[in-house]
Amino acid sequence: MEEVRAYIPETLKEALEIRSRTDCIPLAGGSDLMVSNKRTTGVAPSFDKPVLIIRNLKELKEISVNGKGECVIGAGCTSAEIAQSSVVPWHLRQAASRMGAVALRNSATIAGNIANASPKGDTPGPLYLLDARVRLTSLAGEREVLVSDFIVKFKTIDLHPDELITAVVVPLSERNFDYIFWHKVGTRKANAISKLTLSQAIKFDGRIVSDYRLSATATGAKTNRSREVEKLIIGKEITPALIEQVIDAFDEVISPRAMPEFRREATRRMIRRFLSVASERPENRVIDTFDGFHVTGQPEPVF
Amino acid sequence: MNVKLEFTLNGKNVTVSTDPLRRLIDVLREDFGCTGVKEGCSEGECGACSILLNGKMVTSCLIPVGAADGQDIVTIEGLSETEKGKLIIQAFADGGAVQCGFCIPGMVVAAYSILCENPDPTEDEIRLGISGNICRCTGYDLIVDSIRLAAERGGSIWKK
Ligand SMILES: Cc1cc2nc3c(=O)[nH]c(=O)nc-3n(C[C@H](O)[C@H](O)[C@H](O)COP(=O)(O)OP(=O)(O)OC[C@H]3O[C@@H](n4cnc5c(N)ncnc54)[C@H](O)[C@@H]3O)c2cc1C
Ligand code: FES
Ligand code: FES
Repeated sequence: MEEVRAYIPETLKEALEIRSRTDCIPLAGGSDLMVSNKRTTGVAPSFDKPVLIIRNLKELKEISVNGKGECVIGAGCTSAEIAQSSVVPWHLRQAASRMGAVALRNSATIAGNIANASPKGDTPGPLYLLDARVRLTSLAGEREVLVSDFIVKFKTIDLHPDELITAVVVPLSERNFDYIFWHKVGTRKANAISKLTLSQAIKFDGRIVSDYRLSATATGAKTNRSREVEKLIIGKEITPALIEQVIDAFDEVISPRAMPEFRREATRRMIRRFLSVASERPENRVIDTFDGFHVTGQPEPVF
Repeated sequence: MNVKLEFTLNGKNVTVSTDPLRRLIDVLREDFGCTGVKEGCSEGECGACSILLNGKMVTSCLIPVGAADGQDIVTIEGLSETEKGKLIIQAFADGGAVQCGFCIPGMVVAAYSILCENPDPTEDEIRLGISGNICRCTGYDLIVDSIRLAAERGGSIWKK
């Protein structure tokens, strides 16, 4: 008998049954796998195991808010769908809306972006910031793991062979933040992926910072977030000296390889910008303009 | 192992028995003769292979044909038979948008997807909408102008 190259399940249950008995590679949008396994024109890509095509599973396509006030995003939702949803937290919508160009955003899924476990992936930045979890489902049951634990290290995830990611659960804590920041810094090429993104959020209690969060992608082997750095400022009043302390501490956390000086300097400036503007309590919740860089949300000059 | 796949292609139900991991671009070109779907980069960067999958623009070099099973596909061959497709193509011709033509099928799909979502796009919105489509000839300006022309000429047809 000829080997089975791919399974095309019609339901999630069928997909999980296949997972339970076969060692296979889930394929959603295909935008990572079809590139990494491609051969040449006219020749099918080569995979070392059978492929489980889950692109069209309806069960993985929903976005909703659960009883605990958390946003539940189906694993198969594309960047375009996430960017367009009003219930998705702001930071994640920003990241999704700036992934690649239009066609890419219509294929790239959130589960694929997480499972790819690349430090250059854009959605882990906001997902780390917001303490989001992945929901992992098998025939035997379900478990939920913080995205920041699920991505173990570069290209390595904590996925059991019988499981699929079925959803990403994002607490809506960002509604409580007083000021928010998301910025992607990079070249002008729309589809270039190794761009630095920085996510920040802050909440005040009077003059005192009651919550501060900071995460960065494309600044090392993993998406970076450090609770130690955040603790430096939580419980305190913002001063210029404290801002510099946070900046220096985060600079120790990151280890960008490509264009390291540029990435370090951009990171320092974005932290300084956010914290100093937030300390002045402007009316606008979104702190975005940034001297010397493009403005978030505005189209960059593309060509 | 070959699998029998069924989908709609340019409005017609079609079936094909093939390796489900073949790239959709190869099946469209080789098995169905849709040679308007062009291959530039083979990795999602250039947009020459753009098609509509369930009405959304995607790059067909990144999709295994198995993922098309049961879905709706429109290529430039089908789009150019529709009122909206004809309008864009005429605007490209009148606006001088075409030089060698290699990127144009993908650009027409991109123009279609811009105008269906946003009947009255600004120049920046058009540039963003075609930012995944690379053209080595024109410098883009006349393509952008031609998409504006298609928006103006089409008027209300883009709203339905
Ligand atoms: C031209 C181009 C531009 C790009 N630009 C960006 C960018 O700007 N930002 C960015 O972050 N990325 C970018 N990418 C990378 C890629 O598009 C993303 O990582 C995307 O989110 C991957 O999702 P997918 O569904 O296409 O993944 P696939 O290729 O289908 O899968 C990727 C990995 O995820 C696994 N997987 C998928 N779904 C599941 C599931 N439900 N359960 C378990 N495992 C699963 C697969 O087995 C595989 O290991 C770009 C890629 C290309 C080709
Ligand atoms: S050939 Fe598909 S995007 Fe270039
Ligand atoms: S007209 Fe030649 S590539 Fe665009």
